[in-house]
Amino acid sequence: METRAPEVTETPSGGPAAGSGRWQLSLSSGDARRAGVILVLVLLVLFLLPSIVSDYYVVTSSQVATYSIVALGLGLLVGRVGMVSLGQAAVLALGAWVSARLLFGTGLPFELVLLLAGLITMVLGTLVGLPALRMRGLYLALITLMLAGAITVVLATTNFPNGGHGFLGYNGSAIHIPAIRRPGIATTDAAFFRYSVVVALIMFALVLAHLRGRPGRAWAAIRQSESSALAAGINTTFYKLWAFALASFITGVAGGLLAGSTRYLYSIDFQTQDSITLLAVVLMGGAYSLWGAVVAALFLQLLPALLNSWGVSADWLTILFGIGVLQVLTTAPRGVVDQLPRDLAKLGRFIGRNVGRTASSKGAS
Amino acid sequence: MPSWQDFQPFIVTGLSVGGVYALSGVGMVVLYRATGVLFLALGAVGAMGALIAWQLINQSGVNQYLGFLACIAFSGLLTLAYGMVFGAALSRRGPLINATATLGLALILLGVMDLLWTSSGGQSRAIVLPTDNSGFMISQIQVEWTNVIALGFGLVVTIVTGAFLRFTKLGTAMRAMANDREITATLGVPVRRVEAAAWFGCGILSGIGGLLLADLVALDASTLTFLVLYALAATLVAQLRSIVVAFVAAVVVGLIEEMLTPIQSLTNYRDMTPFVIAIAALLWQNRHATVSLTREGI
Repeated sequence: METRAPEVTETPSGGPAAGSGRWQLSLSSGDARRAGVILVLVLLVLFLLPSIVSDYYVVTSSQVATYSIVALGLGLLVGRVGMVSLGQAAVLALGAWVSARLLFGTGLPFELVLLLAGLITMVLGTLVGLPALRMRGLYLALITLMLAGAITVVLATTNFPNGGHGFLGYNGSAIHIPAIRRPGIATTDAAFFRYSVVVALIMFALVLAHLRGRPGRAWAAIRQSESSALAAGINTTFYKLWAFALASFITGVAGGLLAGSTRYLYSIDFQTQDSITLLAVVLMGGAYSLWGAVVAALFLQLLPALLNSWGVSADWLTILFGIGVLQVLTTAPRGVVDQLPRDLAKLGRFIGRNVGRTASSKGAS
Repeated sequence: MPSWQDFQPFIVTGLSVGGVYALSGVGMVVLYRATGVLFLALGAVGAMGALIAWQLINQSGVNQYLGFLACIAFSGLLTLAYGMVFGAALSRRGPLINATATLGLALILLGVMDLLWTSSGGQSRAIVLPTDNSGFMISQIQVEWTNVIALGFGLVVTIVTGAFLRFTKLGTAMRAMANDREITATLGVPVRRVEAAAWFGCGILSGIGGLLLADLVALDASTLTFLVLYALAATLVAQLRSIVVAFVAAVVVGLIEEMLTPIQSLTNYRDMTPFVIAIAALLWQNRHATVSLTREGI
């Protein structure tokens, strides 16, 4: 006991403090390393990618950047707050509609249109979210699915603006349909791709800032246990609504990017099924990580493009997404993102142990 | 505003599609009550069954009744297989995850159907039931026997299911499981077997529904898959509980949707009917709800 006592008394005074200091130090150096890797990756993507791939893949890459924002929004709701929305594709369609209307109807700079589209979609999303927050898990998912269905029907009737007059801005008898304008600094496909990546980065930074700050801590608490969060004095309704608003805002901005990258919008391209596919890829990519959003966007946009150029039917993807959902839900309860690093860590430990053993046995010999 | 005469034919179609939605709705409610799974792949299963029937009848020259039987058997067995594998694996994971998993099945089936029965190239397929070309007149409205069968089936299935749940041993076991699965299991009820019966029954209903809707609406994978939302709207009105309310709600959904067709200003928005009804029902049912304190995320 006497030999143990000093250890026990020492631990509270020096142990944890020193430990946490080391932990912080290693975290910050890890952060710096991670930031460095991301910076190099982004620079490579921004400047190398458009020059080494064909125009087709440049447009596809813009879509990947756009959809990574959409997936980020849904991942925020599903992974961070524990709210499943089956209506995010409809929110994207709303953002695209508002952007197209503003771009045709006003001479506002593209950036301002993106901001306005985000804000208007945010208001609409929050209005939708307010009553929906009374619903529990399954019912919230179902009401968002129903809302998405309703929005899809309305958009199919009103159509997307094509330079016409009036509130809807749609001219059914137009022979020459003008393309949706792009920002002056990004009129070519390659330039618009870079523009999309930069906007996506800003959106990721915005979400990251939220996650690192007070809302992120509140969301984490809500996800763990809503009653504990409430007991800890967190206004759960407010923070859930905030998550809805933030997800709607970034999805609205993504809608603006989508309008700019495709340049022509048709209501047939926005189906209720898209919201389901979106949830599928977000679950597969990993709703708990920011990288999961990028992976989800690659699934959703790059894979169809690749299959198309290989002459393989895109229907295989629908099947793959379906299998992916079942796989994630049955064998990886907390998603691939939780499972993969754990498996990798296990692998790393296994390799480390073996290499260490080999090295020590070599040293001994 | 159109005259009463304009509405008449739509009342007939409304009642018949409503009857089929009721059929699916009853299947969904019973399965949800017995297993806790909201089977959102019901439409996709029925659609695939109907396409298999079409393939057998029109391409392989199989007798049409055998084709219809194949559709129903396929739907029943596929649903049963899903229930035995994924329903069992996810049985403790809550309704949200279970419902999301059935969306996975729906996606797989959609992909397979688009792959095998491509709709590009303007190919149109149709299921013709033997009752299509014969019928009778009710005050100048042509009624086909298929319409009668559709509504009649919905009604009969609702009544029979109600009686089954009320009076039979298996039905009582299903109701007991809806109340508490664990206690039911402790009482010696073979839980897995009762669940299997619920899955199979729901699959059979989705097969019959698929055939009837393929005839009444269209034999198209995507259309039939998402017609499940109509049945879902009815089950939500019934709070996933009462099959009688689900039946009435399904018929009302079918009627309203069809009767909006002749009204010019609303005809384009008639597809919103199930969504608006479901949203209104959910908001009404939850009007006094406070913020939920249980976490049901993925």
